[in-house]
Amino acid sequence: MKSPIRARLGAAAAAAALILGGLATSAGPVVAADPLILRVGTDQALETLNPWHSVTYADYEIFQVQYELLVGFDNNLEPAPAFADRWESSADQTTHTFHVREGMKWSDGEPATCEDARWTYQFVLDVVASDDGYVGSGFLEPYLTNAGLSAVECSDAQTLVVTTEFPTTLLTQAYIPILPKHVWSQYTQDQIGNAEAEGFFGNEPPVVGSGPYVTVAWEPGVFIRMARNPNYWGTPGVPDEIIFQQFASEDTMVQALRSGELDYVRGTGANQFDALANEPNIGTAEGYSNGYTYISFNTRGQQEGYHASTSALSDLAFRDALGYAINRQELVDKVLNGHGVVGTTHVPPYHVNWHVEPDHPRNFDLAEANRRLDVAGYPRGADGRRTDNEGKPIVLRLTWPDSQDNSADAQFIQGWFEQIGIGVDAFVTDEGKLIDDLAGPEAGGEANWDFYMWGWGGDPDPMSLLSFFTTDQIEAATNDCFYSDARYDELFMLQQRAVDVATRQQYIAEMQQLFYDAACYHIPYYDSELHAWRTDKFAGWVKQPADTGTPLFGFGYSGYMALTDANAVIAPGPSAAATAGATEAPAPDGADAGGISTPVVIGGLVVAVVVVVGFVVLRRRGGAQAEEE
Amino acid sequence: MGARYLAGRLATAGVTILLIVLLNFILFRALPGSPERLLLGRIPGVTQQVLESTKARWGLDKPLFPDQFVAYITSTAQGDLGFSYGARGRPVTDVIGQRLGPTLLLFGLGEIVAVIVGLALGAYSGWKRGGVFDYLGNGLSLILYSTPYFLLGMGLLLLFATGLGWFPTFGMVTAGATYAGPLEYLADLGSHLALPLATVSLGLVGQYAIVMRSSVVETLSEDYVTTARAMGLRDGRVLRSHALPNALLPTVTLVAINLGYVVAGAITVEVVFNWPGLGTLTVNALSSRDYPVLQGVFLLLSVGVVFANLVADLVYGLLDPRVRA
Repeated sequence: MKSPIRARLGAAAAAAALILGGLATSAGPVVAADPLILRVGTDQALETLNPWHSVTYADYEIFQVQYELLVGFDNNLEPAPAFADRWESSADQTTHTFHVREGMKWSDGEPATCEDARWTYQFVLDVVASDDGYVGSGFLEPYLTNAGLSAVECSDAQTLVVTTEFPTTLLTQAYIPILPKHVWSQYTQDQIGNAEAEGFFGNEPPVVGSGPYVTVAWEPGVFIRMARNPNYWGTPGVPDEIIFQQFASEDTMVQALRSGELDYVRGTGANQFDALANEPNIGTAEGYSNGYTYISFNTRGQQEGYHASTSALSDLAFRDALGYAINRQELVDKVLNGHGVVGTTHVPPYHVNWHVEPDHPRNFDLAEANRRLDVAGYPRGADGRRTDNEGKPIVLRLTWPDSQDNSADAQFIQGWFEQIGIGVDAFVTDEGKLIDDLAGPEAGGEANWDFYMWGWGGDPDPMSLLSFFTTDQIEAATNDCFYSDARYDELFMLQQRAVDVATRQQYIAEMQQLFYDAACYHIPYYDSELHAWRTDKFAGWVKQPADTGTPLFGFGYSGYMALTDANAVIAPGPSAAATAGATEAPAPDGADAGGISTPVVIGGLVVAVVVVVGFVVLRRRGGAQAEEE
Repeated sequence: MGARYLAGRLATAGVTILLIVLLNFILFRALPGSPERLLLGRIPGVTQQVLESTKARWGLDKPLFPDQFVAYITSTAQGDLGFSYGARGRPVTDVIGQRLGPTLLLFGLGEIVAVIVGLALGAYSGWKRGGVFDYLGNGLSLILYSTPYFLLGMGLLLLFATGLGWFPTFGMVTAGATYAGPLEYLADLGSHLALPLATVSLGLVGQYAIVMRSSVVETLSEDYVTTARAMGLRDGRVLRSHALPNALLPTVTLVAINLGYVVAGAITVEVVFNWPGLGTLTVNALSSRDYPVLQGVFLLLSVGVVFANLVADLVYGLLDPRVRA
């Protein structure tokens, strides 16, 4: 009787060893020629490959690596050759000619010509003219509409002629990926833009692109794997593959960088960033943010259709005085751990050519704030609380969408405002509800709020950041402080049409001053971009722009192309695995896990467990029988 | 087991699920903020016309009762949970289906390991009560029981992944890897599974061991155990054949109910190890306000708990004739 039991024991042990052997294996899979993979961690969702649905930095990063823009960005964010290698404009700057790069091909081998660019731009024109008026997330079309695009045609296979309603230089800053017509023209606007439409085109891999890398595998919400585009027009990048990995926890992402399982991370908190700065083989960059955190006021107060808690909010002098009670430097130091820049105007210093400091900045001075409130006619009551023109004590509601930084900001603001006799009721509001609450009557809302905090992000050109505050944007609820100034609107149009940099700088400077003086927003800080990377696998991390940028998640893909193999003995170039054709697009569809699915593995493990449990049961019965005998 | 008992349990479960579906509908529609603005987010240039067309596209222009309610009940009954806001173009059932496998793998194995180790540890501690093993085992169980998953997981991650480099820090398999065969895949999966599995198992072991120990201690004072000993049976035999089957009753209930909380428990462990299961999906859906996905996860979780309770009732009915009446 003992021999069979031993045989069963051996079989069960073998099955367990099979599983436990896996458990004990620390390293990943071994393949014949391991490709050189750049692994990038992000805390943002990897939920779309369709560029029209892009919303987050990660979304933009994915499409700009796969698709050329008509004109790209160099390391100083100046226009650089991309899908077009040359361009010129007519003397009146309303006809713009782009010469598409000769001999360029899409990753599937089809020729990339002017017709692809024309189709993409015409698609935007058609979308804007359609009933919907936008496509996908609606973030890309303004790049062309703000430039006044009116017509587009190909004069020959390599020459794109774009006509604009007014003179402009903004076309070279248009953040529109040029898409392959032979792929995208098979789908309707609804199928491209409406994710719930029958036959929605999600642009599933293998993606057909013109950039240096194209997506070959995608597990939504988990990772995106890109391989080199074999038909890329330029010198191939050194990484054979790029894998973007999504993380639900910033802590885990940073640990993965420490352990060498990631090569680059975007989205570290200030504490993690400071800790990483002192570690070996880790490089860090604190880049200027192309955006800002702001405190917005309901400047219409209690005017008809608006529902602020006090009429004081519609008084410029009141809002101006509050600006002296915000210690911006302390917020940078205490809330951001020093990783930010004190804020002033709505064009951040990231835009070195366009940012100006205001003439009379509101520096923190509680005595000055008190003095201004006294002069403006907001006396203190017996309890020390100031009252508005109706004699009502002023207690402002301060809210923000869920954010640790903003929660900390609110506590400081509450303390400072208390010292100038203004009560603050601070609370978090769900982002969805906040968007709804902010809308004024022009946008179908009630504007039932006092002041709130959020942030905006911009493009290489300050155009979008400036556009949020024209009067017509009140109806769209983008102009969330209801700022309306005819001169600002006029300047917006003027800068849009200015073809001379110095003139445009002058217009934009005036716009910043106007908006600052209106005390519609108080901008406490420009929070920094905190990135970190490993230096022992890849070298050549080049920041864009050099002094104030970060290597990746900038504009265009230059950061990826500058990378070199830190362990290479020979000159930079595609790795040995790549030259052997190890990872080039298009790869077999979803061939990631060697064709083994999770259910199969689960089944295998269940069988193994059943074998082990079965053995134990048999052994027990055998033992019991022996005892009873 | 009587047919009446079975029918009663099934009817209770059915009614509960119906109420959950109803609550699911009300809860997510009672959220503040208008859904069309939520869907559009902060798109520059959203006009009233765009808002109206978005409402029409999602059927939000129709009355909540009966139109939207009937549409919801009908589609839920057909297994159609709508489309995810975040994962463009993907139905909620696909999004959840993609993440269900990894969660079941992690927590299924975690439960099995925890049941085996926890029950053995608890039974032996109870059997040797007052001894050194009991003090150590019971102490360890209490520590494990009171340690939150994220703390345990982060500790293991810092020690064995970042510190010693024995295991990977995140994921279920190495993203983008190619494998020569199933064994290599299994090895990669195993190395990624080790730490999250250890976290889940250790977290549950303490709970099971404590319940099992007290149950065994209680059982050992029963007359039939004294009788078995008086018959001259060996200690191991008395424990296995007479004490354990009776001591197992409360543990069975605990294990069965725990199964229903797989998703809830998944959240912290999966986030720590970036395990691509329902837990990380829930966290991501929360941060992106993907309400259809949250609604789907809520439904799955609730039905899971009801089903686990039903299983517990039925198994208990089988094991203990007294409850069948």
